[in-house]
Amino acid sequence: MAALCGGVVGSSFCRNHQLFRLLHKSFIGRLGCNHVAAQHTAPSETGSAQEIIIPRKKKWNEEAVLQALASTVNRDPTASHYRFQDDAFLTPKTSSEFKLFSQSQEAGKNAAEYVVNTYPKYFTKDYAEPHVPCLMPDTLKPQVSDVSEGALKELIQLRKVRQAVSMYDQLLQAGTAVSLEMTNDLLDLICFYGDQDPQQEETPDQEKSEDGEEQELPPKSRRGRSRKLEVWRKDNNAERIFNLMAERSERSYSALIRGMVKYGAQLKAFDLYADMLNNRMSVDVNTFNALIIAAPEVRQKYNEKWELIVEILKQMKEQGMRPSLLTFNAVLKSSRRCGPAGRMQALQTLSEMKAVGIEPSLASYNHILAAFYRTVFGPSASFSNVSSDILHKVMDEVSGKSFIARDPDDVHFFNYGMKICCSLKDLGLAYRLHQLLGVGDNWRFLGSPSQEAHYYGRFFHLICMMETVDTVLLWYRDLVPSLFYPNSGAMRDVLQALDTDNRLDLIPEIWKDIKRLGLSNKAGDLVEEVLSLMARDKHSPEVHESFAECALEVKATYGSGEQGQVTLDWTASALGNIASILLAAGRTKQAWDMLPLFKANNRVPAEKLLDDFLSSAMLRGDPQRAVTLVQLSASFSLPATARLAQRVQQECELNEEHKTLLVELEALSHDKD
Amino acid sequence: TVVAERNNSLSRISSAICVTHGLRAIHATATCYKHHAARIRVGKRDKPVTYEQALHPHHIAHRKGWLSQHTSNLEGEAGAAERTVEDVFIRRFIFGTFHGLLADELVIKRRGNVLVVCALLVQKVGPQKIYFLIGYTEALLSYFYKCPVKMEVQMVKDRVVYKYL
Repeated sequence: MAALCGGVVGSSFCRNHQLFRLLHKSFIGRLGCNHVAAQHTAPSETGSAQEIIIPRKKKWNEEAVLQALASTVNRDPTASHYRFQDDAFLTPKTSSEFKLFSQSQEAGKNAAEYVVNTYPKYFTKDYAEPHVPCLMPDTLKPQVSDVSEGALKELIQLRKVRQAVSMYDQLLQAGTAVSLEMTNDLLDLICFYGDQDPQQEETPDQEKSEDGEEQELPPKSRRGRSRKLEVWRKDNNAERIFNLMAERSERSYSALIRGMVKYGAQLKAFDLYADMLNNRMSVDVNTFNALIIAAPEVRQKYNEKWELIVEILKQMKEQGMRPSLLTFNAVLKSSRRCGPAGRMQALQTLSEMKAVGIEPSLASYNHILAAFYRTVFGPSASFSNVSSDILHKVMDEVSGKSFIARDPDDVHFFNYGMKICCSLKDLGLAYRLHQLLGVGDNWRFLGSPSQEAHYYGRFFHLICMMETVDTVLLWYRDLVPSLFYPNSGAMRDVLQALDTDNRLDLIPEIWKDIKRLGLSNKAGDLVEEVLSLMARDKHSPEVHESFAECALEVKATYGSGEQGQVTLDWTASALGNIASILLAAGRTKQAWDMLPLFKANNRVPAEKLLDDFLSSAMLRGDPQRAVTLVQLSASFSLPATARLAQRVQQECELNEEHKTLLVELEALSHDKD
Repeated sequence: TVVAERNNSLSRISSAICVTHGLRAIHATATCYKHHAARIRVGKRDKPVTYEQALHPHHIAHRKGWLSQHTSNLEGEAGAAERTVEDVFIRRFIFGTFHGLLADELVIKRRGNVLVVCALLVQKVGPQKIYFLIGYTEALLSYFYKCPVKMEVQMVKDRVVYKYL
């Protein structure tokens, strides 16, 4: 289509064609775009608000078509996430809708899988060539029903922890010897799942009780993340079976040690490790990794912790085990807990990694950053010991490379890096980090949607603080709402940026976005800030006009809405600001309609507001209104009543009844003094 | 065939020149029924009807498109009957799953291995219910036909009326 129109552009036949007009509009916007590769520079504005004048003849650049096609390759900032349908009714507008819609789609998928697995006979006909195993129904019910090793094997495969344990016990009671392999598999299963049946994929808020037995889950909150970590119980099935075993191989020890470390019984793990050494068994790499991770928990002082880690590494060397990436990452992770000395060790570990020839993964860099910037985020945040070069050096190492996921901790790198950039207020680094995200497959390392939201929230916060309002708006249009839904804090940053650069005339558009994001009903202070910014300064008449329209919309969010709608309570400043905005725009009737609302909602108007009203009433030569104003202020028993009354008497032409009224009110207010 | 008797001398003479004036013959041929396929006949002008329903099948490829797009009707391609049966099942399945929500007939497209079901739905229920049903149909039909099934949904305020017949 683009090629077609590019070819016939000059001809008069196409000039009047409706489709040509549409494409022409988009071409103008696309040709204005920066080069695609320089993604860290902000994208330029599409000509959506410009006047389109179609020339008689246009000379196209030779690469115009290519440029237009190239601009479609990148992310479309107007589209929502790919998992949603491309329809206005079905696109999520707030972050809660995002979560709701994706979860309901998941729930539908789970319902279908339930149906398929409950009635598998309807889904067994195989059309696919070659065979697609993931689209066949799962057999989740065990087939073998008698008590035998085959049944045990099946239960282990189906991940049924409790049933497997009871089957094992039955086998032992019946006297059949269970092979070492099978017992090791069973131990692996129990230790991996911590002696509980694996629960379904659940959100962190849900909690399920398995088979009626209530498990006591002490919520251990680990750094920033609260995960209900199950504790290694004393009367564990794993330990019991382990003790019952006649001969134990390295695999059994290994399974038990790793299970203990995973579920918090580190001391026992070290005891078992000592057992292994006494029995002169060879320990494998994964067990060593688990022990290194557990090391900081079993010693108190920093140097003792590090010594323990070094000892484990020495023993590893004695046994002839080659350290893997996970070993080094475990050392780095543990050295974070080893105090200030741990930092130097961390750097040395990194150089050793390179010497051995293992490419550091994002997790390694994450641990190093954490070791160095730990003091920046603690309760006593100090920049004294921090050499901020580390992040620069890390970025130098990492720029331009595409990573693969090799360690579960890789996903924390980007988030942590952006957190550091934010606290260091370094915008250049932030842009470099963001550019790294665009390389190859690195987008996968953003993690879960909540982690993504944190990342983009911090990035946007940094941009709002440091950049001019034009750049802020460009990034705003690029990121919102396709990549992240800003909360009220982020919108306040935008308003602040507008205020700093004197672009307050854009507030009505920002207000529309605020309403669409659903923040207008929840964040009362954000709405008040919008109003106060509009009411503050003097602007040109068109701007005041747009402000007045906006103020009327804001008025609708306050007060009594339709049934079921959450609305905000009126505050004095909100009422006052709306009234002054309406007055400034010259909409006197609507402004005067605001005054009864003060009384209705029990809010006291400010003195300055009353002065403004008085000035406008006198401009229009309306003494009746002026007198009602003084009456209003008297009803609130404001100290300014006397002054207002005097002003009215001096500046207005009053008839007799007005004068008597005023004299009464003045007397009243004087009495009160 | 039965031929009526010619009593007229005039007709006897004119029969030589084969004029069948006054000749009455009964023709009997096979019955030619009226076409009824996919047609809604004009009535009291109170029945709202969509564009798809209003145009008769002989307008396909002239004013209408196809509701089911696949390549098995091309020369040398196999599987047309299987595709048709699949289509019928899919239409009934989705009619039942999205009960009361379909605004018009489904359009089913096959691109390579993927089955794309394009539906036009009415905005009767909230978006989270629609997403639940979409996730459910996509998964179930994928398991059933062993190929990826995608839905492309467009929401419409009301059934779009083209004419009243």
